[in-house]
Amino acid sequence: MNYLRIWLAGARYSLVRTMMFRGDFLVWSLVELLWMSVNLLLIAVIYRHTASVAGWNEYEMVLLVGTGMVVQRLVTGFFWSNLFELSRNVRTGAFDFYLAQPGNPLFMVSTRKLDPDGLVNSVVAVGIVLYAVHRLGIHPTLFAAALYGAMILAGVVIHYSILVLTMASIFWLSSSNGIEGTYFTLVDFSRLPKEAFRGMAGVLFVWILPVVVVSNAPARTLLHGFQPMWTLWIMGVAALWFFIAVAVFNRGLRRYSSASS
Amino acid sequence: MTAVVVKYRQAFLVGLQSNLIYRWNFLARGVFSLLRLGVSVILWSAAFAGIAKIGGFGLNQTLTYFVTLILLQFFVGAFNEDYQISEDIRNGLINQFLTKPINYFLYRFSIFTAARVVSGALILIPVLLFLPVLGGWLTFPHEPWRIVCAIPALTMSALIQFSIAYCFGLLTFWLLEIQGFVILSMAVETVLGGQMFPLDLMPPAVFHASRFLPFFYQMYFPAAILTGRITELRVVLQGLALQLAWVVILLLVAEFLWRRGLRRHTAVGG
Repeated sequence: MNYLRIWLAGARYSLVRTMMFRGDFLVWSLVELLWMSVNLLLIAVIYRHTASVAGWNEYEMVLLVGTGMVVQRLVTGFFWSNLFELSRNVRTGAFDFYLAQPGNPLFMVSTRKLDPDGLVNSVVAVGIVLYAVHRLGIHPTLFAAALYGAMILAGVVIHYSILVLTMASIFWLSSSNGIEGTYFTLVDFSRLPKEAFRGMAGVLFVWILPVVVVSNAPARTLLHGFQPMWTLWIMGVAALWFFIAVAVFNRGLRRYSSASS
Repeated sequence: MTAVVVKYRQAFLVGLQSNLIYRWNFLARGVFSLLRLGVSVILWSAAFAGIAKIGGFGLNQTLTYFVTLILLQFFVGAFNEDYQISEDIRNGLINQFLTKPINYFLYRFSIFTAARVVSGALILIPVLLFLPVLGGWLTFPHEPWRIVCAIPALTMSALIQFSIAYCFGLLTFWLLEIQGFVILSMAVETVLGGQMFPLDLMPPAVFHASRFLPFFYQMYFPAAILTGRITELRVVLQGLALQLAWVVILLLVAEFLWRRGLRRHTAVGG
């Protein structure tokens, strides 16, 4: 309950700040919107020349990519800038501020502020998913829709865990400049259908790294209904990687020795 | 004349040194670019399943196009020049150039050239490391005129990319924050520059229209010359003429923004 109050205070501060810089909010919302359009454009161009990619037709692919976008925009909205600042804070010693707060350090680090532009665009991404569902003419059951929502949350947990693992590397490295590239690279792979991965790429991105399951599991649930294997898979992967991320972060905390100046 | 060359050669050498400091950043960026190439490889391989050609080109030709783009990005692409220029204006560092006989555009361009020498050399390391994998796909046409035409195309591509970044940097004279605009324009450049997909795969009318935009000449045009996506010499020569026109226009815009911007600029502090 206490944590909820802390989070709400942070959210309120972020919204007030956004209202102060309305122009910025508008530009950044447009930026995200444009990047989403770029991805949809890629699909449109590919499907001008082929009817199916790895067994997925055009609107199934839009559904898949849209699902990936929902997850990514939610992560951007809730966690991205907080965790992105972690490396700078650790380097400058400003991280002390979070440790001094009466709460779990990972929670405090992850939830200080929101990015409303990411959240606005997650709504747009949901719109893309709904549009794909409409074009496909499918009618998911209420259960499938609820399961889709739960899987999206599991996807957010997985992306969040990757982000924490990526950014926590600052505890071991002297500079993590450009390390966020790891997260974005992995996210790029998560928009592809599982069937497209062959050989070593399949082993790495489907089975070892929690990448493909993030968008494939929820998209399949909307397309084909409840599938026990995929449900167990995404929930299990979310729990496992969250556990690893927390463990690595806590391990990193022990190495943190502040910065004197 | 010699004095001018010496002046900007010094800027180039300073640029080399300062960019070598960021060698690990460039290297990491190169490795990530190649890893992200994996997304294109997986996606396009799946799209080509059961199809010999898309838009008249085979899978290997398409993958060669994407590998070439990565190389071009590190050899002629603009990285964060817009941001550096913006910082110069915001922090007042630009003031020192106003009192010295040095042209800020040429100074920045010398540093940009140095940065591309460093990043271009560094991208070769991961490319060579990945060569056992990449080598199987790479297929380049052999006509000698392609190399002859690629040299001016690449030079002008670098000029266009730098000029666009320069113009965005100069917007700081009017705006406090340009980051959003830069990323907005990056999205447009990514699509219309052909980095997302080869532009010739777009509907013919859209492709034709894109030829009249500067973005076409940033990446797609030189890459298309080198990888054979443009088949006729005549089309290449027309493209070179249009590219030259865009270089001139962008240089004029840059000069205009610089003059106008300086009128608004107040050099505060000492």
